[in-house]
Amino acid sequence: MLDLLTTPTSLSSLREQKRAAFLLGLRAIAPGLVALTIWGIVTGVAMSRSGLTDQTAAAMSLLVYAGSAQLTALPLMAAGAPLWLIFAAGIIVNLRFVIFGAALHPYFKDLSWRKRLVMGYLAVDIAFVAFMPRFHDAPRKGTLEQHWFFLGAVIPSWFLWQITSLIGISLGAVVPDSWSLDFAATLALLALMLPLANTRPIILSVLAAAVMAWVAQTLPLRLGLLAAVVVGILVGMWAETKQNPRGRA
Amino acid sequence: MGDTLYLYSAILLLALCVVICRTGYMVFGHYFPLPPKLRSALRYAPLAALVAIIVPDVLPWTQQAGPQFDLKFVATGVSLLVFLATRNG
Repeated sequence: MLDLLTTPTSLSSLREQKRAAFLLGLRAIAPGLVALTIWGIVTGVAMSRSGLTDQTAAAMSLLVYAGSAQLTALPLMAAGAPLWLIFAAGIIVNLRFVIFGAALHPYFKDLSWRKRLVMGYLAVDIAFVAFMPRFHDAPRKGTLEQHWFFLGAVIPSWFLWQITSLIGISLGAVVPDSWSLDFAATLALLALMLPLANTRPIILSVLAAAVMAWVAQTLPLRLGLLAAVVVGILVGMWAETKQNPRGRA
Repeated sequence: MGDTLYLYSAILLLALCVVICRTGYMVFGHYFPLPPKLRSALRYAPLAALVAIIVPDVLPWTQQAGPQFDLKFVATGVSLLVFLATRNG
């Protein structure tokens, strides 16, 4: 390993560096893969329980590749909600990826737009969580090591997600209706969001959104969801200014 | 659940959501520096949306019958306690 690093220009050592960085990324994401396995199975079961055929469920898993967006959309699709509402809900649930993208952009900005498209598409939550703490203070952004570390985190995640989703889809077809496993999706959403609610402004924002969502749930077109998001954002920002009177986090 | 065309349209729209949100900044980030104010506002949207999906499912109410407490509410309460106790996402 060391003697290979002394001749960094040779082709074989370049390959070795990529491989080492890929394995580091894989190791960093390993704890997240356990959660991803459970999450993938639950999402697969939820897709099949909410009435999707095996084909549409597999298409959803392959194309959408976003557990929270899939679980959010399933009740809407089951209720036959208008497509624009499904799109709006999908955008709202995925907004966090805009933040992730903004944070990751400096590390990938020198790649071709095709590569940035693929890397961005694969940038799921656990990859972001594994990547950022490690390279947050890196003096150089956009190194070969960073790119291959990232690939080592996202490629296994993609495969594991697709496999566990398919397992969940086939399990969902086997278990009886009376188990009402679609409710597992609601519980999985709960399990997903709880660790993220880790600061006082976010907790206050979530509580306010919950109250608003409960009060406004009889509004048509799930407009209560929109109202809850608006209230959640306003309360979160208000709580932030209360916490940091000078306005800086 | 609805017909096949409706389902595939919904799936494609969701895929579009994911592509826009995940790759938008990666591909076009050079042109759109995100203002800090907007960045901090966006932080609260995902969890607010998630909780707004969960709450009506767990604790529904109608104008005729008022709030409904059933097993789902109990199950969610128990899960919440287990999640909090183990801090396991």
